[in-house]
Formats: sequence, C-alpha cells, structure tokens
Amino acid sequence: MNAAEMVDIYVMGKKYTVPASLTIMNAMEFAGYQLKRGCGCRAGFCGACATVYRIAGDYELKVGLACQTKVEHGMYLTQIPFFPALKALYDIESLDPTASAISSYYPEIYRCIGCNSCTKVCPQDLNVMQYIAYAQRGDISRCATESFDCIMCGLCASRCPAHIVQYNVGILARRLYGRHILARSSHLTQRVDEIAGGKYTAGLEALMAAGLEELKVAYNNRDIED
Amino acid sequence: MRFSYYPGCTLKTTATELERSALKTAKALGIELVEQKEWQCCGAVFPLARDEIASFLSSIRCLATARDKGEKLVTICAACHHVIKRANHLIKNDANVREKVNNHLQLDTSYLGEGSVIHYLEMLRDELGFNELAKKIKQPLTGRKIAAYYGCLLLRPAAIMAFDNAENPSIIEDFLFALGASAVYYPYRTECCGVYLSLNNTQIATDMVEKIVTSARSYGAEALVDACPLCHYNLLELQKKTPQGKPLLPVYYFTELLEEALGLKEEAAVRKDKNES
Amino acid sequence: MYTPQMKELIKKVEETRPYRLGSDFPRMTPEERQDVLKNFHPDFIQSGFRPLKIGVNRGDRIPQELADLLESHSMISNVKLDLEKISYDVDVLIIGGGGAGAAAALVAKEQGVEVLLVTKLRFGDANTMMAQGGIQAADKANDSPLIHYLDVMGGGHFTNIPGLVSALVNDAPLVIKWLEDMGIMFDKEDDGTMITIHGGGTSRKRMHTARDYTGAEIMRTLRDEVINRGISVVEFSPAVELLLDEDGRAAGAVLYNLETEEYLIARAKTVILATGGSGRLHYQNFPTSNHYGATADGLVMGYRAGAKLIFMDTIQYHPTGAAYPPQILGLLVTEKVRGLGATPLNIKGEQFIHHLETRDVESAAIIRECTERKMGITTPAGMVGVWLDSPLIDLIHGEGTIEKQLPAMLRQFARFDIDIRKEPMLIYPTLHYQNGGFLIDENGCTSIENLYAVGENSGGIHGRNRLMGNSLLDIIVFGRRAGFHAGVKTKEVKQNKLTLEHLYCYQREIEQSGAGVVDRVSPVLVPHYNHREALGLS
Repeated sequence: MNAAEMVDIYVMGKKYTVPASLTIMNAMEFAGYQLKRGCGCRAGFCGACATVYRIAGDYELKVGLACQTKVEHGMYLTQIPFFPALKALYDIESLDPTASAISSYYPEIYRCIGCNSCTKVCPQDLNVMQYIAYAQRGDISRCATESFDCIMCGLCASRCPAHIVQYNVGILARRLYGRHILARSSHLTQRVDEIAGGKYTAGLEALMAAGLEELKVAYNNRDIED
Repeated sequence: MRFSYYPGCTLKTTATELERSALKTAKALGIELVEQKEWQCCGAVFPLARDEIASFLSSIRCLATARDKGEKLVTICAACHHVIKRANHLIKNDANVREKVNNHLQLDTSYLGEGSVIHYLEMLRDELGFNELAKKIKQPLTGRKIAAYYGCLLLRPAAIMAFDNAENPSIIEDFLFALGASAVYYPYRTECCGVYLSLNNTQIATDMVEKIVTSARSYGAEALVDACPLCHYNLLELQKKTPQGKPLLPVYYFTELLEEALGLKEEAAVRKDKNES
Repeated sequence: MYTPQMKELIKKVEETRPYRLGSDFPRMTPEERQDVLKNFHPDFIQSGFRPLKIGVNRGDRIPQELADLLESHSMISNVKLDLEKISYDVDVLIIGGGGAGAAAALVAKEQGVEVLLVTKLRFGDANTMMAQGGIQAADKANDSPLIHYLDVMGGGHFTNIPGLVSALVNDAPLVIKWLEDMGIMFDKEDDGTMITIHGGGTSRKRMHTARDYTGAEIMRTLRDEVINRGISVVEFSPAVELLLDEDGRAAGAVLYNLETEEYLIARAKTVILATGGSGRLHYQNFPTSNHYGATADGLVMGYRAGAKLIFMDTIQYHPTGAAYPPQILGLLVTEKVRGLGATPLNIKGEQFIHHLETRDVESAAIIRECTERKMGITTPAGMVGVWLDSPLIDLIHGEGTIEKQLPAMLRQFARFDIDIRKEPMLIYPTLHYQNGGFLIDENGCTSIENLYAVGENSGGIHGRNRLMGNSLLDIIVFGRRAGFHAGVKTKEVKQNKLTLEHLYCYQREIEQSGAGVVDRVSPVLVPHYNHREALGLS
C-alpha cells in the first residue's frame, strides 16, 4: 500500500500531506501531532474531537468528529475541543418535570429564533432545534428521547445565535424524564428491600464458603433462561 | 376534509382547553386536523425588522411542510395565526426575503408563499360553511346573549390578514348565529385588550379590559367569546382586578361554545363558568 | 462501503440466513472450551509475556508492554519538587474522571469531606463513556444475587475472589436503584419493568440498558451530578506519581498540568486510584476498543508505591471488534448485538460457535476460525475477520429493533455506508479489558494504607474473565464502596510529612536489576501514533 493516495490538508492553516484513507484524527497524528485535547474515545461516543472545516473553494462551513470523519483534499480544519458553556446547578429530585423546571434554569431557550443552525451542525444528526422546541413547550418526554443520543460535543452551542447551550438543556430534560416521568421499577424496589432485609446474606456466605467442585457442579447445571 | 395543523406552544401549555375543545369539535364535524410531526415556536410576535429573516423561519417551515402535503395549514391560536400569515405574505411579496429565507432553509423545494394558512374560524366559515355548521348543531344555544370579542391579531393589518372587515367584522357573530345564540354588538369588540402591557403596565391593561367588559355588559351580554389565548388570559385575569368585582363576566373560547352546541359536553360535565369563583 | 468482492461473499451469508434463522447452534462442552482457550487465546501466547523483575510482584508473568512501563524511570526522577509547596490540600483525592471516580466522588462527598477529582483528559473521558452493552443486576423475580454470583464465578473460571464477587452481586440492585433515582433513562416497559437481555455467560436476562449508550448515559449523568454537588474537578492534570507519608501511607499525588507542564502537589488523607485500564498499550499488537487515555498510568504509579497487583497476565479480548472499515478498526461492536441474536459466521456463511459463549471462548473461537481453519474473510487492508450477522436481529425481533436498540452501532457503520440492518458486520477480537489490577478488598482498599483502587485498575472481581455488563457494575459498586470508606477514614487520619522515598527505592531497584538501563519513562499519559505501519508506510 505504499502507493497510498495522498491528499493535502491544512491543520489550523498549516499544510500536511496525508493518506486519503485516514480520519481527521489519524491524519493529524500521521502529520506528527500527539493529541492532548481534542481526542477522547476515538469511537464517536465522547464528543471530545469536535472539528470544523471548510474545503478549499467551498463557502460552506462543515463539521464532524475528527475520529469519525475522513480527510478530504483541500480540507482546512481546526478542532473545538472545549466550548464555554453555562451549566445550571440543580437538585434533580426536588424538581417537577415541567416547562418551568427547564425555563427557570435556562430561560434563554425562549430566545431561540428557529434558525436551525444547531441541527445542521450536530455530528450525531440529532434534531437539536426540535428538542429545544419541545423544552420550550414543556414536552419533557420528547425533549429527553429526541436528545438522547447527544454526545455533548458543544458544536450546537458554538453556533447558536441565541446563546443557548442545547446539550445542557438536553441532559436536564433527560434526568427529569428518567427521574420523574418514566415509571419506576417495582421489581427493583422489591429486590432492594429484600437485600436490605438480609434475604441473600446467608446464601452468599454459603457460596463464598463453597468448594471449587461444588461451585462447578452448580454452575454447569444451572438452568439458562431462554 | 383534511388539514395540516400547527398548534403552537401556548395551546400545549397555558391554553390546553382551547386545543382540547378545538380538536374534539373538529373530529365531530368530520374534519381531520393532523398535527405536524415537527414544529417550533412561531416567535409569538411578528418581527417588524425586514432584514431579520431568522425570526420567521419556523413559520415558513410549517407552511412548507403543509405545502409538501398539499394541504392547507390550520391554526387555532390567534397569535400564531397572525405571525404565520404575515410571514407567508412577506415571503410571497418580498423577493429579497424570499431568497434569503430559501437560501437558509435549503428545502427540497423552495417555498415561495404558495401555501395558505387559515384560522379555525375561517375553516368553519370558508371550508365547511356556517350553513353546513348550523345543520350539525344538536343543542342550539338559543336565548344565550353572547358578545364577540375580536382583539387585534386576527383582524389587523387588514390587507394582509384578510380575515374579515377589520372595522366592522362579523365572523364571530355569524358563528354565534350558526350555534343558535344571540350576538350582542357593542363598541369595544375590536378594541385592543392591552395584553402586551399586562405584565409591565398592568394598570393600563386593566383599564382597557374594564372598558371592554363594562361595555359588553351594558349591552346585555351574559358572556364574552373570543378566539385568542392572549385576549382570553387578559379578559379573565385582569377582569378580577377591575373595581367591578364579582360576579365576573364569563369568557369562553369559541370552541367551547361549539363543543356545547354540538352536544359534546355531557350535562354533568358542563363546566361551571370558570370565572365564577 | 463493502468492496464488490466482499459484497459477493455477503451473498453466501444471505443464502444461509433462512435456514439458520430459528435453529440453535449448540454450546461448547467444558472440555471444548478449555481446548480452544489453551490453543488460541492470546493469554496463552507465551511470547506476549515476561516475568517482572522488580517490585512487589517480582517474578509474576505480565504482558511485555506493561512490564516495559513498570521497569521504567519515573517522569519526575530528574525533577526538583518542593513537597512543602502544596497546591491542593483535601481530604479525599480521586485520580481518574471515569465512572468509578465519579461514583466515588459522589459518595465521598456525602460523608461531609472535601473531595478533589483530578483527571488526565476531560472529566468523563473514560471507557465508561464507551460501554454500550449494559449493566448487570439480579433484580427480577426469576433471578437472584446468588444466581448472579454463580455466573460471575463461572465466567471467571472460578478464579475470582469470592468476597469481591459477593459485594458485586449484592450491591448490583442497589446500584441500579441509585442510578434510577439519579434519572438514568433505563430501557423499560410502560409499567416500569426493566427491559433486560442476555449477555455472554449470563443464565438470566439481567442486562439493563439505555439503548446502546448505557455507559455514556451513566457517565454523563454522574458527571452532571458531581458538578451539581459542587465537587472540585481538575481536568488535563494527570497524577504522575503517588505521594506517601513517612509511615508509608498514601497521602497525595504529584499532578502534571498537561498544558503548562508544571508539576503540582496535591495532599490528601486518602487517595482513590480510578485510572482505568491499559488497552492503549496494544498488547501483542491487537487493536483496541479502549479510550485514548487507557495507558496504565495508575498501575505504574500505584505499583511504584508498593501496591500489589493481581491477575495481570489475563486480558480480555472482546470477540467483536470492527475489522472493517479500517477507519474504525478495533472499535467495539457491542455485545448487545449478539445479545439480540446476531451470530458469527465464517466465509461460507456458516456459524461455527454459539453466539453467547463467554468472551474469552468466543474470541478464541474466532481467532481459530481465522487462523488455523483459514475460514476468515480478508479485507483490502489485509485484516482478517468473520461476519457478524446483524440483519438477523430485525428478523427475530421485528423491523426497527436495530434502529431503536442499537442507534450508536447503526450510526457508526452508516458513516461508512454500511447498513447493518441489511448487511453483516465484519469483526475480529479487539483488546478490550484488563481483567487484573490492584488487589483490593471489598471496600476497595489496596495493600497500601489509605490507598484505594476501583474500576478497571483493580483486580480480582472478575477473576480471569469478565462477563459483559459487570464492569459498568463494578465501577459503580466499588466506586461507591471506596468513596464511602475513604470518606469516613479521613476522620481518623493524622497527616505527617510527604515523601517520595518509595520512588527512590524503586529507582534503586531498577538500577540494581539492570531492568531500567534504557531511557524509558513512564507513565506515558498519551499514546503516540503515526499510523504508518497500518498503512504499510515506514
């Protein structure tokens, strides 16, 4: 593969020639960077490597996660590994899952002008503007489910003309939903009570004391749920 | 009959009664109102700055969504209707706005103002017809003396809203007749209720509400009917602050009266006048 | 997008799918399992290991790459430090900002003490964030902590430390409740019943999930809560060495500001190591599913301080790492994919192993299929893998299941134009988890007083093999236990002078053993990649 196809990219304006098959992150490393900021799970889950770029000659500002986006010829890029954001402090248990729970902490959601820049910029293809719309009208459930796949990379907030920090609105909605709207699990509560009541204490002690052969027999003969 | 439906935030939060009764009556009349899958706040106030396109993007989005389905867009909230209708007018008539908005939205098919938005009342008048409506009334509101209150948002600016004669409208009265009620005419029915001042200058708004209520009462009205959640809030809440005190003049959404006239309200469930307390 | 040649091979998968659907592939006998492990699992490849020359585990067999780090000079051996100049003075110092560290921080703080959490990268940059599959807990009527105990022991080939397993299974439902109270969006039925599924080696469906973002959902919520509670967090400031006091008890750490390159002294009454694993050391050149920061830092500094390691010769290879496309080589394909019914297939489209064997057995069988049996599929980059027939999932559970249950996976592959609803994935085992770590007791205490270890840098809970869904569980169970114990313990700790004497002793031992003649320095903090080898460039 020595004849790998190479492309020119520009990291913060500086030109590097890299194999075309690489992701932005790998290309930066190929070029000699050892990343500290702007690199996390390298698998698209953590939101550390938000990157903005333009292709030479194209007016459009594009975005992507550096670990998930392939380089292109003429790519001018920079990473946005950190973006200053307002994060409200709250006691989730004491809140009611209503519009006012969100608007009292993040009143700026009503400044949304519907430009949809957040949605266009989301590397997870979430409908960000729409989940903010749900928050505005107190539809916590839909705000929570619609925002669920958010990796909190901050690109939405970086582009918002209304200064909204969408991903922090999203996590508040999700925690309100998980804590106050989703039905609680009764079998879980029952098991927690049983454990507190010591129902399994003796059984666990017996297992801890059991000999190897005894355990193996029990294990190899245990029934397996379909 | 099937329409694309835009509810707006107010109907989902503070004016749930308006939406509930509107959807219930529409269903009974065989009118299908399909809520758009995704919609955003219309902004509630129509922006007057012509170079600021962002503020009516959500209006254009919902108009385009309805257009794509080949349906008219129906609104129930007067404020949403006002914003969306004016946005539609603007994009149709202002080439500069049209271009900027479409450049921004990048829809599959550009939106040029070809869709139309109608208010629920217009739908009843122009699509179903008040005569047809009258035939479906099961419990006519015979003998009820009700005063229509129009407010500003549905009527003005007259040329753009094209809702009715702005100075001397008749659509709500005609609606009342179709329901079998008597309409009370009084001088303040198209005056502003002052809702935009009700938070930062409550006294002025309260004075305006008092004039409307006093006038309607003096012409024999037993209740007011309106079509706007903002007016509705103002007429109910600020009326409590007027020196007249109790008993307050009841205020209904037009859809609540329709619900009653269509026989959709069970006897026991007929709500006590909400401002009786 | 698959190449035309690969698309041709996928046709065989499609041909056999109808007759595979609904038929059950037999599980291995215990003898067959032992056989495939001994011959094909990387833990049994002798050249991958060597005996350690120095420290409390001298003579123990550990991976070459880790031995290199443990037999290295300290980053600060030539740095003049004033240990009296204290930048952070707290009760509990937590090193590591993943799930274990965050859970420890929350519970330590509840004990009314001052807590500082320091982390190398961002708070939340950890393997926790990447755990997709789920978290185990025996909270259903047909299950119990006792059955969970058996599964854990059997999965670990009965090598696990019983007391740790008991703590793990006993606390599991408590942990789920704790997380539920915090607002974690577990997948549930309308009535609140947890939707639970199988994982490899489970005898009951006890895997709790939040779509396939389970770890991310837990991590971001814990992080949110740590911030809400006002706990101090310092990012991009890894600890590089532990500090002991004159009595040899843990008493703080030397931090390194990655940006300014300054060293800072943090003093504490108790110290919790929660630095995670070592996948980024790429043992035996395996690709890894691990987070960028998984470079064994905690093992290095804890070992130098004298904490005892256990089970360091056993590494978990996740059977299903992406083998194609090359951009995501090694990336984890969550076990939930197999939990939902996807099966591994060879080049003929034939299944060769039950899809829910334990991870070590499943991995070894895939390696055998690709090596000895030569039934793997070769990619243009020269990587060999087997198919994982994901389209089975929608056939078994109904259309839309993948979209709803595996959105992250769907998205990952869609980025490279592979639709896993219609096409199988190509997979090969990936370096996934460090089964061993510091020997701890059920409170997370190591062999050094006032030093705790929780999460992946601890060992013994899972023995020689961990089951899916038990690491998200163990980080929270032992994070909470250590947080509590370390928080309470601070009240009886009398502080005295900070020292680095242990480091000097270690240094002398290196010199005497002849192990550290090279100029190697550790911890390495971040890996150094240039991607030339993988591309065949020098």
